[in-house]
Amino acid sequence: MGIEGPFWRTVAVFRAASLVYAAILLARAGGYANPAAGWLVIGIMALWTAATIFAYSVEGFRGRPLLAADMLVTLGCLLATPVVQGVHQEDSLPVTATWMGGVVLAWAVYGGRRLGALAAAVVALADLQTRGAGGVEFERLPVNGTVLLFLAGVLVGHVARLARKAEARMQEAVELEAAGRERERLARGIHDSVLQVLALVQRRGQEAGGEAAELGRLAGEQEAALRELVRLRPEPAPAGAVDLRTLLQGYGSGTVTVSVPATPLTLPAAAAGELSAAVGAALDNVVKHCGPHAPAWVFAESDGGAVTVTVRDEGPGIPEGRLEQAEAGGRLGVAQSIRGRVEDLGGTVTVVSAPGRGTEIEMSVPA
Amino acid sequence: MVVDDHPMWRDGVARDLAEAGYEVVAAVGEGRQAVRVAAAVRPELVVLDLQLPDLSGVEVARRLAAAEPPPRVLVLSASGEQDDVLEAVKAGASGYLLKSASREDFLDAVRRTAGGDAVFTPGLAGLVLGEYRRLAARPAPATGPHLTERETEVLRLVAKGLSYKQIAERLVLSHRTVQNHVQNTLSKLQLHNRVELVRYAIERGLDES
Repeated sequence: MGIEGPFWRTVAVFRAASLVYAAILLARAGGYANPAAGWLVIGIMALWTAATIFAYSVEGFRGRPLLAADMLVTLGCLLATPVVQGVHQEDSLPVTATWMGGVVLAWAVYGGRRLGALAAAVVALADLQTRGAGGVEFERLPVNGTVLLFLAGVLVGHVARLARKAEARMQEAVELEAAGRERERLARGIHDSVLQVLALVQRRGQEAGGEAAELGRLAGEQEAALRELVRLRPEPAPAGAVDLRTLLQGYGSGTVTVSVPATPLTLPAAAAGELSAAVGAALDNVVKHCGPHAPAWVFAESDGGAVTVTVRDEGPGIPEGRLEQAEAGGRLGVAQSIRGRVEDLGGTVTVVSAPGRGTEIEMSVPA
Repeated sequence: MVVDDHPMWRDGVARDLAEAGYEVVAAVGEGRQAVRVAAAVRPELVVLDLQLPDLSGVEVARRLAAAEPPPRVLVLSASGEQDDVLEAVKAGASGYLLKSASREDFLDAVRRTAGGDAVFTPGLAGLVLGEYRRLAARPAPATGPHLTERETEVLRLVAKGLSYKQIAERLVLSHRTVQNHVQNTLSKLQLHNRVELVRYAIERGLDES
């Protein structure tokens, strides 16, 4: 049923009430010129009121055919006015009285502002036509009813559209929340079982050594990846910005230790991506020069206006002058993938290394 | 005493400790129970997992710290729980170790924690350093704790994965001095945390009266 139900019920109430009003007007006027025709029209209106109240309450019936039929019946009743009232009477309502507004409301609720305005125009034209047929000069035609019809059509259409939109949003929010809740439930389950076992496998594997150690290392990597996936409280970052921590933690593994603060390291998405890629390149270098199982540390910190990430290894180190040589020799490695990336972001790269003492690459970019 | 809700972990840790010659006085899987049991058996050291079904590990650490004398608390936790780890450490835990650490590292951490030393992993150093910087960036940094230059230097090196020995060599300090610097950073943070709690309690109390 949703939000539309109440609108249709309101239209139904309006129709029933205005039907009674039309009947009272007819009775007070003594049936105008032609009481039999008058009561026949009221009868038709009553039947149609009952029919539409039912039809509009069923979602399957609501549609253009019903709206068209509604309009035709209304116009029919309205155009019968000259027959019933005979000579037109100044400032009186047509025989349908306000009942003719029902179809305008129905069109407005169904189709919004424009359809409401269209229905108002059609009904108003028919209304003016009956008065014109009564011999009233065009300039003196009363337009109050017309204005009210338009107002009703446009306003109700607008509100109905707004309500429908609000309902859609609400629905979306509810679905999102349900998805979030489900994710949280899954995360908790995974956290309490799978992750614990993976961590245990990693630990026992390392102790057992040999092939088991390799299994343990794999389990550890999966544990880190899975944990990142089911993170319970992703920090909401402002639009276009990314928490660098999330990216860096993806590098964590059995051999790579990632240390970050507890507060987000927010950077523009592009900058965070580049910096993270530079860290990746530095870690690739560690694997290349120190072997796949060499330990490495990634440490990210934010100090005042800068975010600094340090990648450290305990490998053989880089002999003095070696980097410059490589650069001069056209080998890009560190130069392009790290220094290039970071300097493009307006940052600086410091490489501290000595043979046998490992290597520290410190990348600092303005936050 | 071992607190972990996962039976495999709980038993494994307890066994490792027993094999290494420690007396495991209790092994429990729930937070409230842990606080209750700790009050009864008075452990010297609690190995605490932060993910517990009823109370959060942080709250358990806080309540354990209120005991007299408080047991030493070593947080043994999975990765990716930085906020909780930091809170637990501020609440009085004196060490933090990843669950993926090897048995040797674990036993070493237990030994050092039992001996009254802070056990700093690179991860914890990163968190503590971040917390000091967060405090320093607040509107009224003068009231908060801050690090000396040397302490910052030491913490950064710990966060980069250097051992105390390597740090001592690099900064030409004694191992003990490095240890003291690290210990100080933690004590100042815990003291600040207690002061904040008391201030908060007083404000609340004044509001209510």
